[in-house]
Amino acid sequence: MSNFIVRKVAVLGAGVMGAQIAAHCVNAKVPVVLFDLPAKEGAKNGIVQKAIEGLRKLSPAPLGNKDDAACIEVANYDDHLELLKGCDLIIEAIAERMDWKHDLYKKVAPYIAPNAIFASNTSGLSITALSDGFDADLKARFCGVHFFNPPRYMHLVELIPTAATRQEILDQLEGFLVTTLGKGVVRAKDTPNFIANRVGVFSMLATMHEAAKFGLSCDVVDDLTGAKLGRAKSGTFRTADVVGLDTLGHVIKTMQDTLPDDPFAAVYKTPEVLAGLIAAGALGQKSGAGFYKKVGREVQRLDFASGQYVAGGGKADDLVVRILKEKDPAKRMKALRESTNPQAQFLWAIFRDAFHYIAVHLEAIADNARDIDFAMRWGFGQKLGPFETWQAAGWQQVATWVKEDIEAGKALCAAPLPAWVFDGPVVANAGVHAADGSWSPTRKANVGRSDLPVYRRQAFRATLLGDGIADGAKAGTSFFEDDSVRIWHQGDDVLILSLKTKMRVIGPGVIAGLDKALTEAERSYKGLVIWNADAAEGGAFSAGADLQAMLPLFMSGGVKAIEPEVARLQQAFQRMKYTNVPVVAAVAGLALGGGCELMLHAARRVALIESYIGLVEVGVGLIPAGGGLKEAAVRSAAQAQGNDLLQFLKNNFMNPATAAVSKSALEARQMGYLKADDVVVFNPYELLYVAKVEARAMADAGYRPPLRKLVPVAGRYAIGTIMMQLVNMRDGGFISAHDFKLGQMIATVVAGGDVDNGSLVSEQWLLDLERRGFMELLNHPKTQERIMGMMQTGKPVRN
Amino acid sequence: MSKQLQDAYIVAATRTPIGKAPRGMFRNVRPDDLLVRAIQSAMAQVPGLDPKLVEDAIIGCSFPEGESGLNMARNAVLLAGLPNTVGGVTVNRFCASGITAVAMAADRIRVGQADVMIAGGAESMSMVPMGGFHPSINMGAFRDENVGMAYGMGLTAEKVATQWKVTREMQDEFALASHQKAIAGQQAGEFKDETTPVEVVERVPNLASGEVELRTRTVDRDEGARADSNLAALARLKPVFAAKGSVTAGNSSQTSDGAGALILVSEKILKQFNLMPLARFVSFAARGVPPEIMGIGPKEAIPVACKAAGITQDQLDWIELNEAFAAQALAVIGDLGLDPAKVNPLGGAIALGHPLGATGAIRAATTVHALRRRKLKYGMVTMCVGTGMGAAGIFERM
Repeated sequence: MSNFIVRKVAVLGAGVMGAQIAAHCVNAKVPVVLFDLPAKEGAKNGIVQKAIEGLRKLSPAPLGNKDDAACIEVANYDDHLELLKGCDLIIEAIAERMDWKHDLYKKVAPYIAPNAIFASNTSGLSITALSDGFDADLKARFCGVHFFNPPRYMHLVELIPTAATRQEILDQLEGFLVTTLGKGVVRAKDTPNFIANRVGVFSMLATMHEAAKFGLSCDVVDDLTGAKLGRAKSGTFRTADVVGLDTLGHVIKTMQDTLPDDPFAAVYKTPEVLAGLIAAGALGQKSGAGFYKKVGREVQRLDFASGQYVAGGGKADDLVVRILKEKDPAKRMKALRESTNPQAQFLWAIFRDAFHYIAVHLEAIADNARDIDFAMRWGFGQKLGPFETWQAAGWQQVATWVKEDIEAGKALCAAPLPAWVFDGPVVANAGVHAADGSWSPTRKANVGRSDLPVYRRQAFRATLLGDGIADGAKAGTSFFEDDSVRIWHQGDDVLILSLKTKMRVIGPGVIAGLDKALTEAERSYKGLVIWNADAAEGGAFSAGADLQAMLPLFMSGGVKAIEPEVARLQQAFQRMKYTNVPVVAAVAGLALGGGCELMLHAARRVALIESYIGLVEVGVGLIPAGGGLKEAAVRSAAQAQGNDLLQFLKNNFMNPATAAVSKSALEARQMGYLKADDVVVFNPYELLYVAKVEARAMADAGYRPPLRKLVPVAGRYAIGTIMMQLVNMRDGGFISAHDFKLGQMIATVVAGGDVDNGSLVSEQWLLDLERRGFMELLNHPKTQERIMGMMQTGKPVRN
Repeated sequence: MSKQLQDAYIVAATRTPIGKAPRGMFRNVRPDDLLVRAIQSAMAQVPGLDPKLVEDAIIGCSFPEGESGLNMARNAVLLAGLPNTVGGVTVNRFCASGITAVAMAADRIRVGQADVMIAGGAESMSMVPMGGFHPSINMGAFRDENVGMAYGMGLTAEKVATQWKVTREMQDEFALASHQKAIAGQQAGEFKDETTPVEVVERVPNLASGEVELRTRTVDRDEGARADSNLAALARLKPVFAAKGSVTAGNSSQTSDGAGALILVSEKILKQFNLMPLARFVSFAARGVPPEIMGIGPKEAIPVACKAAGITQDQLDWIELNEAFAAQALAVIGDLGLDPAKVNPLGGAIALGHPLGATGAIRAATTVHALRRRKLKYGMVTMCVGTGMGAAGIFERM
C-alpha cells in the first residue's frame, strides 16, 4: 500500500474563497499556510491577517472553532515562498484574471516541491490555458479544484484535469477531498465555468428570461423556484442578490467571452435589468439593494417595468401550489405544461429550458449525466438534479414535449435534442440513470460509479433516482423493524439501530427498540452503532423526546402517568451506558434534548463536522431528564479530578441553562458534549463506516463498560455561586422568574442536590433529582404554556 | 469631637499609574510588585526617616487572594527592603479598603501606640477577578429580605438610577465630563506629584531563539482616560446589568490595576526628623445602607465624617468621590448638594479607573497633593462600598 499524505496545504490568495478553504483545512486538522500579496502599508502580512480576522465574523462560520483561526499560518509572496517547499498541495485562489494567475505561477513555480499537487480554484477559466508555460512535470501535477461558496458547507468540489494531468494525482486528490475535507467530488471537463456554474448560471438566465416573457415579478419567481421545487429557499433573484450581482455579471461575462459558438449564446447576454442594477451600483445584499431592497423591516422588490422598488411578498398562485404538491412527478409535469396559468407555463418553460440545455451540452461538459445531477445537487442545493427530474417525470414523454417546443420555436434556441435522447440505452432504460450506471454520450454507454478505494469508506453512496444504488434505509438484513426503529446488519459483526420516527424523535417505540437492539448486540455482535439512514442527506440524529406522543398519556393520567415513561427513558440510557459491547452513536445534524442524551450515553460518538448538539429543554420550560444533567455532573467530576469542581461545572451548567447548541462537532467538543477521544468525520457518507470501525476496534481492544462509581458533587457550594448569577439576571430583567426557576433546578441537579461540597452520590441519585424536577415543572402552568406554544407554533414561548 | 491623644500627619503619599484590566499595561505585573514600588517610593520621599521606626503597614485589598493573597502587606514590607521588624496586615472593606487602611493607620498614631505607619492599597483586577477565584455566598443571601447581598454592583447602580431618577443621558454626560477632566489634568501635568512611575518587565518566550525575551518599559500615566470619548459613542453602548437599564460599560468605573502608599507619623516624629507634613488626617466614617442600593452609601458616611472633623460640608474644598457608577455618583451629589465644581476636578474612576481596594489610597494621594498645589484646606476621599456601605476620610492641608 502506498500512502498519500497531505502534510501541509498552501492556499494562495486570502480572498473570500481562499481564506475559507484555509479555514476548512484547519477544521480538518490539516496544517495550512495562507498567502497573499505583501501589504503596501503596515504589517507585511496585513492582508492575510485581516482575512483571518474576517473569518471569525463570517456567517455561516467557516471555522468549527473560532479560536482555530490562529492555526492558519500567515505568509506573503515576498518573504515566505520557501514555505511552499513543505506543502504537498497548493491551491491557488486569487482573482479570476488569467494574466494575474500566470504572473503568480511564474513566481511560485520554482518553490513547488517535486511531488506536490498544484491546483487552481478558478470558477471558470480554462485549466489548460492556466497551465501554459509550465514544464511537463508540473503540467502533470496541475488541475482545477473548484470549491463552492461557502466551502465548509457546500458539498461539491469539481475536479478538472487537463489532458496532461496524471491520473494518479487526480485519484490522490479526490481521496483527500472526499475523506479529509468531506467533499463530494465531481470530475468536470475543462470547459468554461465547468459543470455546476455552467448549468446553474444558464438556469438563472433562463429563469430571468422566462420571467420577463411571462410577466412575473421577482418575488413570485422566487417563491416558485425555491423550496417548492426542492431548491434553495432563496429561489432565483434572491440567490443572485446573495451571490452579488457583480460576481454574477463576471460569470456571465465569462460565458459571453468563451462560448460565442454555443447555440444558447443569445441567452448569455446580460439581462438589461441586471446590467442596469450593476451600473447603478445595486449589487445585491452587500450593497443593500439589488433585485430586493430592505427598507426598515420591509423587503421591497424591484419592479422590472418602472425600475422602482415596490412592496414585495408576492406568492405563487394557489392553483400552481396545488399542482406542485402532486406526488406523481409525471402528472405534475404534465399539469404544469397543460395549465393555462402563466406561472405554471413559466415553470414548464424553465424545466424545458434546463432539459434542453443539459441534453445539448452533456457531452461537452461532463463525462456522464450523473456528474451533472450531483453537481447541481451539491453545488446549488437542489434536492433532485435536472436529469433526475426529467427521468422522474417520464423520459420519453418529456423528451417529446421538449422537442415539440423546440420545433415550435418556444425554446431558447433551435438546437435539436441530441439523438441519444430518443435512441438506444437511454430509451431502453427510460432515462439516463440505470442499474449499470449513468449515460455517457462520449462513451456511448452507461458508466458506473467511481471505484476508487476512498469510496469503500462509503457504506452507502449518494443515491440517484433511477440508478438503483443501495439505500441505507432498506439495505442489509433486518433483525427487527417497526414504525419507530430498524435493527439490522450488513452481514458482519456490528449491529445497527436506525431510528425511523419523524425528526428521529424518541418515544416509547424508540426506547423499546433501543432495548431490543442492546439485547441482540450483547448476544451476537461486537458492538452496536446508532445510525440513521438519512444521516448523509441532512437528516437529524434526533430532535429529542417525543412530546406529542406523551400528550395523550398526560391528558388522561396527568403528570403521574408520565413519570414511569421518564424513568424508562433514563433506565434505557443507563442500560446503554453499561452495555457489555460498545455502543457508538453516529451523529449528524441535530442532536437535541433527548437526542443529545441518547448520544451522551454511548460508549463513543462519531460525529459529522456538521453536528448541532445541545440540551435545549429549557425552551419548553423543562430540564433535561434523560440523564443529560446527570452526565454533566459525572463528566464535571471526571474532569475536575479532585480539583475545584465548580470550575468544571460552569460550562456544563451554562450549556443546558442557556439551551446552547453547537454550530459544529468541533464546538460540541469544546462545549463538552463530545469527548476528546470521540471522532469527528467530515464526509457524511463515511459516517457509518467510521462508526462501525470504531465499534469493532473498541471490541477488539477488549472493551468493558465503565465501572459504576459514586460521583463527587459540589452541592450547595456550587448552587450558591450559580444562584448568585441567576439572581442578578432575574433582577436585572434578563430572565423571567420561570427561567430563574429552571436555572436553579439545573444548578441543583448538576451540583448533586442540596448537599455538602464533596459529597458522593450515585448516578441514580442524580437521575432521581432530574426526574423529580422534570415532574414538578410539567405541573407548572408556565411550563405548560411553553410546551403548548412550541407544539402550536414551533417557536419558544418567553414567559 | 472624638477624643485622641495626638494627630496623625501624612508625610508622603504616592501611587502607581492605573492600568486597565484585564488587558492593560499591568496585566502581567503582580499587585504586590506594584505595592512594593509605591512603598519604596513613599519611603524615598522621607529620606531622613529611620525605617526601623515603622510600626506596621496596613494595606487595603478587595480580593486578597491569588497574587494578592498570603497577606500581601507583610510580603510587600519584606520585598520593599524594610526591616523585618515592620509588621503588615491586609484589610478588606472592598472599595473602601484603601481609605480604611489610612484611617486605621492614623488611629494607631492617634491613640499613641505608634509613631510611624504605612498605609496603602493594591489591587490587580487583571490577575484576581472581581468576586475572586472562588466566589461563594451564604445561602441565606437568597432569602428575599437579603437578596441585595447577592446583587452585582452594576445591578445596584441600576436600582439607584431608578430610585433616584438618574437618566441615561445624565450618566453619559457625567462620564464624558470625567474623561474630559482627566485628559485636561494629564495635559496640565496635575498627576505628576502623586505618581510613581513603574518599570514594567514583560517576559516573552521567543520561540525562534528559545530564549526568554525581556521587554522593559517605564509607565508613568494612567491608561484609562479617553480623549476621543463622546456622547454619541457612549449612547451606543448597551446596558450591561439590566435588560432595560441605563448603566453601561461607558458610564461605569473601569476595571483596573494599581497601588498607592502613604506614610503617616506623629507630631513627635515630625519634629524629630524635621519633616514637612503634607496633610493631617482629620476624620473617617463608614456607614451601612441597604445592599441593593449600595451606591448611595457616601450620602450616609459624608455627614458623619464632616461632623467628626468638626467642619461643615461646605468647608470641603476638594472631593474625590469615587465614580463607581455615574448613576450613584449623581445620586449622592444631588442628595447632599455637593458642589459639582469641587467633585473630582481631575476626573474620576470612569476615566481614570478603579482598582477596588487600592482606590482609597490612590485618591488620598491625589487629594493631599491637590490641596497643596492649589493651596486649599480640606479634602475628602469618599466612596460607596459593596454589600451596602459608604466611607469617607477627610484631610487637612498643613
